[in-house]
Amino acid sequence: MLSDILYRLRGLFRGKAVEQELDDEIRFHLAQQADKYVAMGLERDEAIRRAQLAFGATDRFAEECRDARGISWLEQTGQDVRYAARGLWRGRGFTAIAVLSLALGIGATTSVFAVLDAVMLRPLPVPEAHRLVVIRPLVRGQRFVLFNPVFEELRRRQHVLDVMAAISDSSFLAVTLPGSPAPTYLAGSFVSGSYFRLLRLEPEIGRLLNEADDTRSASCAAVISHGFWLRQFQQSPAALGQQLRVRSAACTIVGVVPERFRSHQAGYMPDVWVPIRPLTEAASLDSHTMAFFSGVMGRLRDGVAPGVAAAALTTLYQQIEKTEPQGPTGPGRVAPAPTDYAMRLLPGAQGLGVLRDAFDEPLWIVLSIVGVFLMIATSNVATLLLARGEARTRELATRAAIGGTRWRLVRQLATEGALLSVIGGAMGLLLAWGLTPAIASMISMDYFTVVLETGVSMRVALVVAGAVMLAALVTGLLPALRVSRVELQPAIAVSGRTTAGSTRRLARHLVIAQMALSLVLVFAAGLLLRTMTALKSVDPGFRPHQVTTIEVEHEDTVSAATGGSENADARAAKYRSLDEAINRIPGVRSAALSWLELFGGSDLWLTMHPAERPEDRHDTRVDYVTPRYFETVGMQIVAGRDLALADRHGTPLAIVVNETLARTRLGGLAAIGRSIVLEYPRDQQPPFTIVGIVRDSKYNGLREDKVEPMAWASLEQWPQSLRAIAIRTEAGPDAEVIRRARAVLTTVDPDLMVRKVTTLDAQVDDTVGREIMLLQLASAFSAVALLLAAVGLYGTLTYAVARRTREFGIRMALGAQGARLVGMMLQEALTMVTVGAVVGVPLALMAGHACRSFLYGVAPTDVITLVVACALLGAVAVLAAYAPARRASTVEPVVALRCE
Amino acid sequence: MGDERLELPQGTLDLLILRTLALGPQHGWAVSERIQQISSDVLQVQQGSLYPSLHRLERRGLIKARWGASDNNRKAKFYELTAAGRKQLDADARSWRRLAGAIAQVLDMA
Repeated sequence: MLSDILYRLRGLFRGKAVEQELDDEIRFHLAQQADKYVAMGLERDEAIRRAQLAFGATDRFAEECRDARGISWLEQTGQDVRYAARGLWRGRGFTAIAVLSLALGIGATTSVFAVLDAVMLRPLPVPEAHRLVVIRPLVRGQRFVLFNPVFEELRRRQHVLDVMAAISDSSFLAVTLPGSPAPTYLAGSFVSGSYFRLLRLEPEIGRLLNEADDTRSASCAAVISHGFWLRQFQQSPAALGQQLRVRSAACTIVGVVPERFRSHQAGYMPDVWVPIRPLTEAASLDSHTMAFFSGVMGRLRDGVAPGVAAAALTTLYQQIEKTEPQGPTGPGRVAPAPTDYAMRLLPGAQGLGVLRDAFDEPLWIVLSIVGVFLMIATSNVATLLLARGEARTRELATRAAIGGTRWRLVRQLATEGALLSVIGGAMGLLLAWGLTPAIASMISMDYFTVVLETGVSMRVALVVAGAVMLAALVTGLLPALRVSRVELQPAIAVSGRTTAGSTRRLARHLVIAQMALSLVLVFAAGLLLRTMTALKSVDPGFRPHQVTTIEVEHEDTVSAATGGSENADARAAKYRSLDEAINRIPGVRSAALSWLELFGGSDLWLTMHPAERPEDRHDTRVDYVTPRYFETVGMQIVAGRDLALADRHGTPLAIVVNETLARTRLGGLAAIGRSIVLEYPRDQQPPFTIVGIVRDSKYNGLREDKVEPMAWASLEQWPQSLRAIAIRTEAGPDAEVIRRARAVLTTVDPDLMVRKVTTLDAQVDDTVGREIMLLQLASAFSAVALLLAAVGLYGTLTYAVARRTREFGIRMALGAQGARLVGMMLQEALTMVTVGAVVGVPLALMAGHACRSFLYGVAPTDVITLVVACALLGAVAVLAAYAPARRASTVEPVVALRCE
Repeated sequence: MGDERLELPQGTLDLLILRTLALGPQHGWAVSERIQQISSDVLQVQQGSLYPSLHRLERRGLIKARWGASDNNRKAKFYELTAAGRKQLDADARSWRRLAGAIAQVLDMA
C-alpha cells in the first residue's frame, strides 16, 4: 500500500521525469529489438520499422503505462475541469444564475454562522473555559438578581466552586485620564478581585487584580485592556503606576490584560477593569433591594459536576434567604418563601452571555432561513443541470458509444456541478466578507456597544466547507448519476424521445422540493410581516413622534442612585435651571428631565403602602420627572394635575400615579389627595401626596399585555441623578434644537456627558429590532427563493416542452387547440405546486411554531397567511410556466416532424 | 509458425513476468525475449503490452526497478523481484498449476 502511494506521488509531483523515463524505456526496447533484427540480417531502417511494428503503437502503450501507474486520474480530472469550464462558459447565462444563487446561499449561511459563532459559540480564550459556569438565581423559576450581601455570603460558605466572581459592566464609565482635566467615557468592568483567578489569566505586564484589591482603601488598583494600553500609552511600560480617576477615587494602573482576552462577555470590550468593593458605596454593597451585578460567574471545582454544584448552591441560597429581610407582602402578592429560591448553573465557557440570551433564538432562526435558502439554491442548480444533462443525452450516448465508461461520464457531469459549487463557494466567501458586518450590526444591545469579532474560526470554516460540499453533492452528483443512467442505445436510435423517465421524475421532485421550501420561507416572512403590522398599530399610550431624547450620564451616577445626598439642594437647583433653559430653546414645544427613560429597557421597583395602612404593601414602578413630562411624551392626565413648578425642593412631596395603580390599590379616582409611602431601602420613608392620575401606557415594550402599576415623583423634590431629557419639538428632530440643548447642558453642568441622542420613535422601534431584523431577512430570502423556484420550474418546463415538440406537433396536426396545450402545461406546473404545497404546509407550520415567540397578533398556524403564501406560490408558478406553455401551443406540425 | 502462437490468457502475463524475473534482474526487452525463448516461441507476447504489466507490478510493490547499463552499454531500466513478489509468484504458480492440472484432467476424461 505504501509503495502504491509513493509511486503515485512520484508520478504526481515528478510527472515530467516519470514521462521521460517511460520514453527512455520504450526507446531502449526498440533499439534492442532493432539490433536483433540487424543481427538477423536486416537493413537498419527496415529493422527499426519492424521493431516498431512488433511493439505496436507506442502512444497507446504509453497511455496504458500511465494508467497502470495510476497517475492518470489526476490528468483526467484536469481534463474534466477544462471540459466542464468550457461547458459552463458556453452556457454563461445559466452559469451566472447558478453561481449567483449558490454564492448567495453559501455567503449568507457563512455570514450568519460567523455572527452566531461570535455571539454564542466561541469559548473565552482562557484555560479550561469549559469549567466556567454562570450562576443564575431564580425565584419561582423566574430569573432573579443577586444582591451583594447574598453573593458574599454565598461565596464565603460554598465549597463546590474554586472561584466565584461578580461582574458589573459599565459601558459608559467616566474616567479621568492622567493629565486630563475632564473625564473621558470608557467601557469598564467592575469585578470581584477573584475575577482574573476565575479566568486563569496571566498579565501582559504588571499584575492583574486579586482578592487583596477587594479591601476598601484610599487608593484602588486598575487593570487596562491591551487595546487601551496601545491607544493611550503606546504600549509603554510607563503606563504602570499611572493614575485614573474612577467615581472620584484614584485608581493606579497595575497591569495590562493579555491581547487575546477581550472580556467575559461576547461583544463587550472593556478598556478598564476595577475592583467592585472599593469603588461602590457601602449603601449599595449592603443593599438587599438594589442589585448592580451584570452577572456572577464561577469555576467548578475539579470533580464536581454542574448538577451537584447547582444543588449545593440552591440549598445554601435557601438557607441564606431564610435570614434575609422579608420582601413586600400584602393582598395580591405573596412574598417568596425561602424554598422558592433556586440557583441554576449555566455553561460559562462563552462568558456571561447577555448577547446570547437576547439573540440565541433569532440567530438560529436566521440561520435556518439562510440554510433553507441554500437548499433551495442548490436544488435549483441541480434542476437546471439535470435539464442541461437531458438536453445533452445524445452527446452522452455518443461518448458512451466511443468508449467512455459510465464512471467517466458521471465524473464529467459531476465535475460541472462541483466546479459550479466551488466558484459559487468562492464568490460566497467574498459575499460573506461584505455581508458579515451587516449581519453583525443587527446585533445590538442597549447596555453596551457591541463589538463582534467575526473572524473565520475553525467552526465557520467547517460550516462553509459543509455548505459547499452539500452544494457540490446535490448539484453535481445527483444529476450526473441520473443522466448517466440514460439508456444509450435507444437514445441514439430515436434521439430525445425516450430519455429516461427517472431523470424527469428527479427534476420534478427537485422543483417540488423548491416549492415546498419556498413556501416555508414565504409563510415565515408573512407571519413576521403580520407581526410587524400588528406591533405598528399598537397604541403605546403616549405619542412618540417628534420627541427627541438625549441620554446623559453623570460621573457620580452610581453613588447617587440610592437616593438623596448632601447636595440635594444644589442638584435640584441645577435641574430647575436645566429644565427652564431647555424649555426656552426656540422650536421646543415642551421638554422634561427624567431619571429613567420610556422604552429604555430598565425600571425601578419600590414597595409602597398607603400612609394610613402600612400593612397594605405592594410593588410599583417608580420614575422621577420634571413638570411637563407627560405633556412632552404625550401621556394624558385623566384626573388631577401634572407635577408643577410649585412642587419644588422643600415643599410637600407630590406624586402622579397611573390608572392601574389608582384603580387596583388606591380606590380609583379617590386616589387623588391620598398619601402613599415609598419604602426606600434606607431610613427615609416620606409620604407622597397623589396629585394626578395619568392614562395607562406601555412602558418597556409594545408587546406588554399588562400595564404595571407606576408612579412618577418629582425629580426636583427627590433629586435622583439625571439620565434622560425628552424634548418635543415643533417639527420632528431638529439639529438646531439638539445643538442648543447640548450647549445648555455644557453650560449648566460640564460633568454631564451626552451618551446618546435619539428619538422616542427610534427607542420604540429598537424594542422590536429583532423582529424587524427577522422580517427583513425572511422577506429578502423568501423573495429570492421564490424567484429561484420560478427559474427552476421555468427551466424544467422549457426542456420538457422542447423534448415533446414532436408530440405537440402531432397533437396540433390532429387538431388539438393551442389553448388546450397551454392548459396541459399549466396543469403540469400547478400539479407540481400543489404537491409542493402539500409537502410544504406541515414544514411551514413547523417553522411558524419555531418562531412563535417573535409573533404578535398572529397565530403561528395562521390560516390566512398560509393561504396567501400558497396562492403567491401558485401565481409565481403560473407566471413561470406560461412562456413554455405558450411555446408548446405554437409548435408547427411540420417543424415537429422535421426536428427528428 | 506464427499461426500456432497462442494469445496469453488474461492475467497470466504477470505470472510469466514474475517467473522470468525470478532468475535475476532483467530489463523489459530481455523479459519479453526470455518468455518467447523459454516457451519455445509458442507464447506470443505483444512486446508493447509488457510494459503496462511491468509498471503495474512495480506499483503493487511486487517488483522494483532501477536504472543501469545494458550489455551493450545502453541505459536500461532493470526490474527485479521483491520479497513480496517472490511470495506472490509462489502463490500464483501453485494456483495456476492446480488450475491447469484440473483442466487437463477434465479434458483427458473425455
